[in-house]
Amino acid sequence: MGVKKRISGCVAVANGVKLADVDVICSYPIRPYTGIMSELARMVADGELDAEFIHGEGEHAQLSVVYGASACGARAFTGSSGVGVTYAMEVYSPISGERLPLQMAIADRTLDPPGDFGSEHTDALCTRDQGWLQGWSSTPQEALDMTLMWYRIGEDPRVLLPQYSCQDGYFVSHILGEVEIPDAAQVKEFLPPYKNHHVLDVRRPQIIGAQIEPAMGPPLQYQRYQAVEGARQVIKQAHAEFAGIFGRSYDPFVEEYMTDDAEAAIFIQGAHAETAKTVARRLRNLGEKVGVVRLRVFRPYPTQEVRLALSKFKAVGVVDNSANFGIAGSSGVMLTEARTALYNLGDKVKTVGFVGGLGGEMITHDEFYRMFAKLKEIAKNGKTDRDGYWLPFEL
Amino acid sequence: MTSSKLFEEPGLKQITVWARGVYENKEARDVVVAVTEAAALEGKFVQAWENYVDLPDRIFVPVRAYGKISDQPIESKYVYENETPDIVALTEETLVKGVPILGGIRPGAVLVVNTKRSPQEISKFLIGDTNKLKAVVTVDASGIKQGVITLSGAEGATDASGIGGGFSGPLAGAVVKATGIVSLESLLQIVKDKAAARAGYDQARVADAKSLGLAG
Repeated sequence: MGVKKRISGCVAVANGVKLADVDVICSYPIRPYTGIMSELARMVADGELDAEFIHGEGEHAQLSVVYGASACGARAFTGSSGVGVTYAMEVYSPISGERLPLQMAIADRTLDPPGDFGSEHTDALCTRDQGWLQGWSSTPQEALDMTLMWYRIGEDPRVLLPQYSCQDGYFVSHILGEVEIPDAAQVKEFLPPYKNHHVLDVRRPQIIGAQIEPAMGPPLQYQRYQAVEGARQVIKQAHAEFAGIFGRSYDPFVEEYMTDDAEAAIFIQGAHAETAKTVARRLRNLGEKVGVVRLRVFRPYPTQEVRLALSKFKAVGVVDNSANFGIAGSSGVMLTEARTALYNLGDKVKTVGFVGGLGGEMITHDEFYRMFAKLKEIAKNGKTDRDGYWLPFEL
Repeated sequence: MTSSKLFEEPGLKQITVWARGVYENKEARDVVVAVTEAAALEGKFVQAWENYVDLPDRIFVPVRAYGKISDQPIESKYVYENETPDIVALTEETLVKGVPILGGIRPGAVLVVNTKRSPQEISKFLIGDTNKLKAVVTVDASGIKQGVITLSGAEGATDASGIGGGFSGPLAGAVVKATGIVSLESLLQIVKDKAAARAGYDQARVADAKSLGLAG
């Protein structure tokens, strides 16, 4: 069995990386993810982890280094936050196109402006269509567990895709939470060594990322599409195996909280889901039929699971912790994707968007209370007045 | 529509430690970590963290470290500042001037200051909700043990230098004496320099707020 400690999300991820026995790490500092790299640097310096620790000259270089390392057969790890995530944007698609299953931790931070190093999902969501797997953890424990799980899923020969393991900056990355750090032997059982079947090797020259003809584009893109789609099954399997070995189980795609007989629900991803749960629990004590559904995996988007989970409510409030200026529905990407998932149900479930927690502000208990009050009104009247509300200005 | 009553957590105690950026970050963090870990030994639900927004890489700016201790699971865990502290501690005396150290304190709050001065002398400088204070406590924690200056443990990483090896030990000892938030025995199980923490406990000067002319 593992050891229980109170650690931050950053230290939790570093422990996951250590247990995954990575070979190459590439760092570049930016708050709030920096704590992951300072912890890993300490582990390498203290001899706890045998890995190459390379300091890149920027995020673009970071991703390039782990791209090469993964191509050489190394299990590779990197990470960033905020504008660091967007600075490396060019390198993401080549990595997934080459089907290299390295991992990047993202501890969310606002882009500039406001650039206040507070948490917003905007940074990581900018990368959502780069052919990587992606999901959010809402506690340090989950951040550690997902570090292991993403490697397991991404390295599966049926998948072979890189992974963004995301956590909310500060809320998860910096506030200490109780974490059970698993035993190394258990991790060995769960996560076999990474095997790259076309290792970059000077003795057998090959070209990676070569210029191609337009006619070669469609099959290449279709293969990547199939890999992302096919990951769904592997995600389910990995979660089941994880529960069997470590005794901690997560619903692979959506976590439902107090949704039995609920008429209204908040649909949300990341740390603020924990606050939403508190509010739902307190409202339940007052007899309100409310619940929370937390999205755990954003790519591949679990269309069926979201449809199944949300179809039982009269009203759903979709919370976006990102700035998606000018988006359809004037709210955020969580709303547009949830509405797409629900589209075939017709007008059965009323949906409304809530943009909140921007700039790293917490979404307060009172704000969730106001959201639930709005949902109650929508469920009662059977209609919505508008697509979305920006909190705290519009609700 | 208001919901303030709905989200009250009656069993929750908040401790806020103010410090000077960079030089005293670690000592402030160590006080909240030592006290909350001691409370965890006693079966409490706890949380400790540093204020993320206080720009802790700016030398000498006022920065805060926080702890929460409760009989119940903490539901306000992502409320990222202690809005209504029960205990306020200062790593050095000049923080009493120009810094809103008593902001939001709950009735019955206790102030603990690392200083050679007496509670009587310190209380002259206090502004804000002084009438809510129950006691002012002083201890020459830096005289008992020098502070440890390190960046180890910054940004949520593990502090390789250990917990409570500097003046945080005696300062936490004074907090324990003045508030009884945990037992001295529990605290001593956590801190690195147990003798220093005990000395802080023994030497802390606790003055009732009424005797200082502060109470309502």
